[in-house]
Amino acid sequence: MTEEQTLAYVHAAAVAVDLPLDDAQIARVAVHLQRTASLAATLEDIPLAPHDEPAELFCPAPFDQPR
Amino acid sequence: MPTLSLSQTVQAVASGECSAAAVLETCIARIEATDARVNAFTGTRFDAARAQAAQVDVRRARGEPLGPLAGVPFAVKNLFDISGEVTLAGSKVNRSHPPATADAVLVQRLQAAGAVLVGSLNMDEFAYGFTTENTHYGPTRNPHNLDCTAGGSSGGSGAAVAAGQVPLTLGSDTNGSIRVPSSFCGIWGLKPTFGRLSRRGSFPFVHSIDHLGPFGDDLPGLALAYDALQGPDALDPGCFATAVEPTTGSLAQGVEGLRVGVLGGYFDAMATPAAREAVALAADALGARVAVQRGVEWPDAAAARAAAFIVTASEGGQLHMDSLRTRAADHEPLSVDRLIAGALQPAVWYVRAQRFRRRYRDQVNALFRDWDVLITPATPLAAPAIGSEWVDINGQRLPCRPSIGLLTQPVSFSGCPVVTAPMWPGGTGGLPIGVQLIAAPWREDLALRAGWALAQSGVAQVKETVL
Repeated sequence: MTEEQTLAYVHAAAVAVDLPLDDAQIARVAVHLQRTASLAATLEDIPLAPHDEPAELFCPAPFDQPR
Repeated sequence: MPTLSLSQTVQAVASGECSAAAVLETCIARIEATDARVNAFTGTRFDAARAQAAQVDVRRARGEPLGPLAGVPFAVKNLFDISGEVTLAGSKVNRSHPPATADAVLVQRLQAAGAVLVGSLNMDEFAYGFTTENTHYGPTRNPHNLDCTAGGSSGGSGAAVAAGQVPLTLGSDTNGSIRVPSSFCGIWGLKPTFGRLSRRGSFPFVHSIDHLGPFGDDLPGLALAYDALQGPDALDPGCFATAVEPTTGSLAQGVEGLRVGVLGGYFDAMATPAAREAVALAADALGARVAVQRGVEWPDAAAARAAAFIVTASEGGQLHMDSLRTRAADHEPLSVDRLIAGALQPAVWYVRAQRFRRRYRDQVNALFRDWDVLITPATPLAAPAIGSEWVDINGQRLPCRPSIGLLTQPVSFSGCPVVTAPMWPGGTGGLPIGVQLIAAPWREDLALRAGWALAQSGVAQVKETVL
């Protein structure tokens, strides 16, 4: 994302989750988000197959509980 | 009365050499003499502590059995619930919360073991920081150099032990918040395996990565406290341990028979020469007893740090959405923009980080087929000055506050247990740098054995401060 695109993203995402931000806040938040974007890019370099699931998955109830 | 270390206090009270009341008064005097300069404490409860200490002395006088930590004064990071007090978690926002109705589980366990709760300790707001530069409650200062940070986010917990105010504290560690203050303050710390200790009754930061654990001023005492903290908790969905696995009985085995390695690659590249020297001192001390191999490669460390950063930002930001919407100005200025950025980051980043974590965990666990204990610095450098914005790590100019966690984040993201040992390399102006002693999940005993060996060798030690 370019700086301009990041600013636009922060503005739109804040509206989507009902988070009021002024222009100065948007600019500061965008700096952080750009830093995180570069970290996210390093994760994209790690190959993950479709069957690579998250470390922990939801369990509806303990399997060994009385039924 | 001279200040006693944690394990000395246990022995002195158990033997009747000192009363719990006398030990407590020494600590209170030390807190009153030093805390205006250190700013470790955000709350004290001396009257309640005196009553608890008196109970210990009464039990001893009656010949009743004492707990394993009888008479040990302790304090807790102010994200632990203390019955009747508001759990601040370093924030202004939480001041409007109702007081806790019960002590946190780990506070209860220490008190059940006879330890005496003295107060609550400063921290980065909502644990989101590595420096305890808290705008609401002031910065906690490093007892070895008051111009420097004590580390964070459990900075009060580290500084209180280093300053000799109390021999035992509790803190939390999501990305390094036990290991960083241990390193900067020159004390012992234990981040147990993820899921080992109950987190019930503590204010969360990142549910997927939060750990709780102890700090201490000597290694045997740290192990004793850790053993007292253990126990299953069916009411905590993040507590996976189903049995107590004591460690104190095996400490004296040291590193005999253990395979010890030094991490290279990322962990070497991100360490300053002083941090490398700290590791070399530890490796050489352990190498006198075992073959220490250097240059062990930890898998995907940089990616793991990135994933930990992303998971932290998303979960931390989401947790505080209500107050970010309505009271953002009451948040810590140093972290509020990061919290907001985390709350807004795309879900694809978060989900990919969590999917990466399983693969990463499996790779890290495979590493421990060949190794029992792995050594690396806890921090890339010694404590920076309070207010530092940038640091230089081997010619790279990096933002100071996030970079302090470069060497801790990949390790906690794997969930492995880590003992941080206080080391004293040259070139730091007399400041310490800790080393991480990392073991496989659920093998805190091995990390503590390595710590015991370092303490016995004399290279890892807690030193007097400038106070």
